[in-house]
Amino acid sequence: MPLTRREFLKVTGMGLAAGSLGMLGFGASGVAQAAAVRPFKLAHATETRNTCTYCSVACGILIYSMGDRAKNALSNIIHIEGDPDHPVNRGTLCPKGSALLDIVHAPTRLKAPRYRKPGGTEFEEVSWDFALDRIARLMKEDRDKHFITQNAAGTTVNRWISTGMLAASASSSETAYLTWKVARSLGMVVFDNQARV
Amino acid sequence: MKQAEAPPDASWSGPSHPGVKSPSPIVMPDPARRFAATAARLDHLATGHPMEPWLRFLARLARAQHRVSTTLAPAGMVDPQAVARATEARMPPLAADGHHRDASWREGLTSVLDHVQHPDADLPPATLDAIDTLRHTDIAALEGQANNFLRGHVPPADIGAAVFIAAALQVYFTGSAARLDAADLRLLEQRSLCPCCGSPSVSGVITATGLIPGTRYLYCSMCSTAWNHTRTVCVTCGGTRKLTQEGIEGDAGLVKLETCAECHTYSKLLYQVRDTQVDPYADDLASLGLELMVSEEGFARHAPNPLLLTGDSEEDIG
Repeated sequence: MPLTRREFLKVTGMGLAAGSLGMLGFGASGVAQAAAVRPFKLAHATETRNTCTYCSVACGILIYSMGDRAKNALSNIIHIEGDPDHPVNRGTLCPKGSALLDIVHAPTRLKAPRYRKPGGTEFEEVSWDFALDRIARLMKEDRDKHFITQNAAGTTVNRWISTGMLAASASSSETAYLTWKVARSLGMVVFDNQARV
Repeated sequence: MKQAEAPPDASWSGPSHPGVKSPSPIVMPDPARRFAATAARLDHLATGHPMEPWLRFLARLARAQHRVSTTLAPAGMVDPQAVARATEARMPPLAADGHHRDASWREGLTSVLDHVQHPDADLPPATLDAIDTLRHTDIAALEGQANNFLRGHVPPADIGAAVFIAAALQVYFTGSAARLDAADLRLLEQRSLCPCCGSPSVSGVITATGLIPGTRYLYCSMCSTAWNHTRTVCVTCGGTRKLTQEGIEGDAGLVKLETCAECHTYSKLLYQVRDTQVDPYADDLASLGLELMVSEEGFARHAPNPLLLTGDSEEDIG
């Protein structure tokens, strides 16, 4: 369909003078308006769609932040509300979801992997490399020790039931597919998605 | 209920229509209130406004539109089969630029001019000239001007008169749209255009009341139909990645412009939660200041308000 009457027009002083305002003799109003806004500054905000982190209902949320992403300014989340366009919740949120802003700004929010040594009493912050290496090492040791290749009847089963995995609530289909492929290829059968708990 | 367990046999005792509802996709206009509301709001906003004389004139024009829309007999019904055919093809049934206009819109125009040009109205000479020229324009030329306006090509000499032609066409299309049933219409694939007449919107209202508060309704610049448009999606290009909301620092937060850095246009958002009296037409006309600020940053308006056309150096007018 042709987009009629959709000329993209910049609103400028000259445009106003040559437009309805000027042509009907109200040019002074346009000049006064342009002068009136001169002392003011623009406030930039962004509205971002996301999914609530809490449960399997996966409500849509809108996150408001101050600052202009395009200009690399530091942005700060100021408000979170239910997404009225999301078919799951249509703008509603449960009490936990309504308090999402507090987990964003919580001083106790987990922002990096932490590790407590065997026998230790305190968690300490560690690098992702350390955390992933350690998880991989422990998984391998456990799998080597407990992997079951055959059941009592001698049928090949190749399963690993001593380690389990719980995946996230806000996964896309693609994430779920990859999670499944990774976990199942190791023979892992104790496996679920938060998305159906 | 556990899997494989028998379903409960008691009848459902919860609400009869439980669950999450969806917003009405299309809301038809009410010609008895549409222009009166705009006039009242314009008068309210005009007080102390830098553009007070212009807004008072627009309020006067809206009152004239109200009188015409409540007294003039509306145009004949659109054939229901034609409506069904159009919606089936995903076309607007009252397509403003293709629809065969009833001659009654010209009666409406004369009436609008009579109401605006009241003896105690203090109108600038340029406005009186425009009115006078329109009164002496013959039928063929008037139809030509209306067609030009609806197709977006207003010659620079006709810009003044275009305001009155637009006002009369708004009354005409609002009356015609009100005779259609929202259930017979369908949103267009091009979501930024009116599902009833195919015109662009003037502004979007983020509701604070109704079934689902917080939904955005775009208001048609011609037939006053409102239709739902997903928030945080650019009205012009459908982009979602580079949208920013611009407001004036420290104001009440009623008016925001949603700018899109992908197509370099903006559309207006009006937050009803900030002022329940907000009117999609009046508040759009009264918030030109923010538009001037955002235009300086290099953004263009998604579509003009028909009552505030702007000219440019190419003399190509919306």
